[in-house]
Amino acid sequence: MRSLERAVDAALRACLILLVVTLVASVAWQVFSRYLLADPSSWTEELARFLLIWIGMLGAGYAFRQHAHLGLELLPQKLKGIPARVLRHFIVLSVALFAVAVLGIGGGNLVALTWELRQYSAVLGVPIAWVYSVIPLTGAVIVFYCIVLTFETGERATYEEET
Amino acid sequence: MEIVVLIVVFAGLFALGVPIAFSIGLSTLAAMVLTMDFLPAVTTIAQRMAGGLNSFALLAIPLFIVSGNLMAQGGIARRLIEFSKALIGTVPGGLAYVNVISCTFFGAISGSSVAATTAVGGFMIPEMKNEGYEKNFTAAVTVSAATTGLLIPPSNTLIVYAVASGSVSVAALFVAGYAPGILISLAIVLVCGYYAKRHDLPACERVSAREAVARTIAALPCLFLIVLVIGGILAGIFTATEAGAIAVLYALFLSTAIYREIKLADIAQICLKSAQTTAVVMFLIAASIAMSWILAYLNIPALVAESLVGISENPIVILLLINLVLLVVGIFMDMTPAVLIFTPIFLPVALNLGMSPLHFGIMLVLNLCIGLCTPPVGTILFVGCALAKTTINKMVRPMIPMYVAMFAVLMLITFIPEFSEGLPRFFGLIE
Repeated sequence: MRSLERAVDAALRACLILLVVTLVASVAWQVFSRYLLADPSSWTEELARFLLIWIGMLGAGYAFRQHAHLGLELLPQKLKGIPARVLRHFIVLSVALFAVAVLGIGGGNLVALTWELRQYSAVLGVPIAWVYSVIPLTGAVIVFYCIVLTFETGERATYEEET
Repeated sequence: MEIVVLIVVFAGLFALGVPIAFSIGLSTLAAMVLTMDFLPAVTTIAQRMAGGLNSFALLAIPLFIVSGNLMAQGGIARRLIEFSKALIGTVPGGLAYVNVISCTFFGAISGSSVAATTAVGGFMIPEMKNEGYEKNFTAAVTVSAATTGLLIPPSNTLIVYAVASGSVSVAALFVAGYAPGILISLAIVLVCGYYAKRHDLPACERVSAREAVARTIAALPCLFLIVLVIGGILAGIFTATEAGAIAVLYALFLSTAIYREIKLADIAQICLKSAQTTAVVMFLIAASIAMSWILAYLNIPALVAESLVGISENPIVILLLINLVLLVVGIFMDMTPAVLIFTPIFLPVALNLGMSPLHFGIMLVLNLCIGLCTPPVGTILFVGCALAKTTINKMVRPMIPMYVAMFAVLMLITFIPEFSEGLPRFFGLIE
């Protein structure tokens, strides 16, 4: 489980760095191609928008594991012992519920619908289903991290309670 | 019925500590399953979330986050501080002014108040503590001055408003933010001046004329970013989003080639950090757009407008009421979802009163800036608190004069449209 988690972390990190670099490059290229080559490229804008969806979704999964999402920490910090543990499980369960229902089932259905309707993007001509596929993928990532957080026992859980 | 469920589920989950984005998403889900079947409900939310992010204007946000992170680590904050010290000279309480001015300059080259708090506060808070300033006061100055960055362009929040309102250009909002941002900074300078007199604060060391020139030259490349980004947008050379990419390239060039404070190996780390910050903001935006869709579907904006007009017909009273509601919202909610959820609700009311969407946007953002510095969800308050190694409770007292100063500016901005509309009109960005 630990090594699987590490592998998922590393893969997400690599993906996110690559996505950000590509995003900067494609918007920069849009400016340069317009002024230096006098031949504005039309695909850069669409590519950048799709990259944003991917960064926003996939990064949200990564940010969940890093405890980076904003929230009111008042109650989780105040409680101790068993109530604190129950609350922590409840929070993880709520996040998992959203990940399964909206990202997994809703996102999955969205991918299936756009695939069946054979929707393609206007400029790049890629199937819209590919763009949307990041939604169920993110759902899976979040559920995975929820499982990790739930079954995380021993030193790491207590360490997080202290910090 | 649905609206009650929406509010109760959101407030309950949020109070229990579920991250805001997920609280927004789950309460939207609860309201949706009451109005339609499960599968269409979840599919619509997923589609609204992804569709909401599919926007070229929003793309400016990750770009300004990357450039802000590059600048926070690239030695740019330190040079701006040195330059501000040369500007201020030997005035009692000098470091407090230096702090405010550096935050304002940093806000003018970066789009995030968190970046300004960390970058400027990281240097200024320890230095001010060493000079005998009270630590809670130093943190309060940094936190309140850092909010100017959300009004002074580039500003991620103004970009979010441009998307939420759908009718104002990012360029016009950017130019409109200057005067209100500088007003906030002046108001905080006034508070510092009063404080300096009462507590007999020390003056900064004297900076020789030669040293002042050297510091100005060292800071010029940073300040040139303002000319490059805003000048480029105003001259129509590139869009606000493209300006973000230019800012990244320039910040990269500045910090690696000129100042040499970032190594190539650091860049991957900066990209990852930026991706994470971007995702937190984008996921919030996506969830808020879904919530704002269900609110519109339930006809909430019209209901709110009706009841506001029912309370009073006087525009001044209605504007004060809107500001009051927004202040309360700002205390409990982060800025991004607040802008996305409350713009569609209050903007039509404001338009009815004869306010321009540009003026309303500046008022909204300035109002929510106050909430950003209040507990329990003031993001930058926590950052400032951690930097000064103090607690939120102890910071409330020195923050009170700051709130008063910011509120005074809010009233000026609300009732005198020229502060927001003067500059954009001068540049021909609005009629």
